[in-house]
Amino acid sequence: MTYDWSVVWDHRFEFLNGVWVTIILAVSVMAMSIPLGIGVMLLRQCGIKALEVIATVFVEVFRNVPLLLLVFWAYYALPRLTGASLSNVETGVIALLLNVTAYNSENFRAGVNSIRKGQLEAGLSLGMSWSQAMRKVVLPQAIRRVVPVLASQWVSLFKGTSLVSAIAVADLAYVGLHLRGSTFRVLEILTALAVIYWVLAYPQAKLVDWLHRKYGAQE
Amino acid sequence: MQFDTSVFSYMPFMLDGMRITVILSVATAVTTLVVGLVLALMRLYGPRWLSVIVTFYIDTMRAIPELVVLIWIFFSIPILTGASMPPFWAALAALTVQVSAYAAEIFRAGLTSIRAGQTQAGLSLGMSRAQILQKILLPQAVIRMLPSFGSYLTMIIKDTAIASMVAVPEMTRNAEVAAQQTYRSMEIYTITMLLYFLILFPTTRIVEAIYGRIAHRGRS
Repeated sequence: MTYDWSVVWDHRFEFLNGVWVTIILAVSVMAMSIPLGIGVMLLRQCGIKALEVIATVFVEVFRNVPLLLLVFWAYYALPRLTGASLSNVETGVIALLLNVTAYNSENFRAGVNSIRKGQLEAGLSLGMSWSQAMRKVVLPQAIRRVVPVLASQWVSLFKGTSLVSAIAVADLAYVGLHLRGSTFRVLEILTALAVIYWVLAYPQAKLVDWLHRKYGAQE
Repeated sequence: MQFDTSVFSYMPFMLDGMRITVILSVATAVTTLVVGLVLALMRLYGPRWLSVIVTFYIDTMRAIPELVVLIWIFFSIPILTGASMPPFWAALAALTVQVSAYAAEIFRAGLTSIRAGQTQAGLSLGMSRAQILQKILLPQAVIRMLPSFGSYLTMIIKDTAIASMVAVPEMTRNAEVAAQQTYRSMEIYTITMLLYFLILFPTTRIVEAIYGRIAHRGRS
């Protein structure tokens, strides 16, 4: 068995395109999921029972289904449920967004709840308003605790984007699977695919560990 | 828009898929816990070079998507070894390779959460390292790991859906087949989501309930 690694170099621009799509997907989903996650978290404790129940059901449902199935569901069922016609990329973004928003709302909730209630009360008893105590006492600490968790979420989102290849979004995984079929150099292409993901995400995983050491909750 | 209830005739087919999903999940949980424990022990107590290699392996698996690992094993192992790779075993192998890294991290967190004084106490009583691990560290670590173990199990069940990409007839794959045959994708995929929810939601709750009952035994 001989291997022909030049096939990887010959298709470098296809791979680069895939990398670009993967990065754009991950960045745009993360950027949208942060405000949306905060929104869902606030809905869950807004005091209006019906909204709280809806937000809770949203979080539990979209955390408790496989991402791949969610991608299929967004592709086949969402257009019929909503009547909207979406491109494959938009469908992929929505599927990832539903999943990551559900997780992020829990991440934020855990961060805010990890600050003891006494701290808010201490702020209030010093004459701060509720929003002052929130802004000056609770949130700065909560953000420090949320940062490393968000970073972990980012790494798992980065890997999760590979699943939108199932609905023909031309991300890195799709490019790899497609080249596997068109070049017949299966081993070379798939190994290159894994190595490219590794090069992109390994430093991120290390950075996450560093953030956990620097900001992680100390108790 | 109407919900076509005729798709319920596919329920036995879907439940068949659920059976494979559960079998694959349980098999993965067993293999990854064994491999994960070994990896954690090598990382914590092995010689320096070994722990460097294991750390590198764990971080690599955190960086490469499950799908890529699965596709690589499914297509490349036959090329490298000449042996054929049945889809179910490819999926089990890929999940084991990938998820063991997470299991190792959970074991490591559990083991390092126990104060060093306990190991020192064991040593001063003349116990061997293996005895200390077996009698003092692991029994407490396993209980302290339970909360992470709940989300760990749900992670495995969700990850098994990727096996559908190599046509393992588990729940997601069967949903695809049923959707193609009935042209009722919306109903089929929505029902499948509910079926996953029905397995996943109680799993977390049951582990939490067990932990609530025995948490005191992990405290020291």
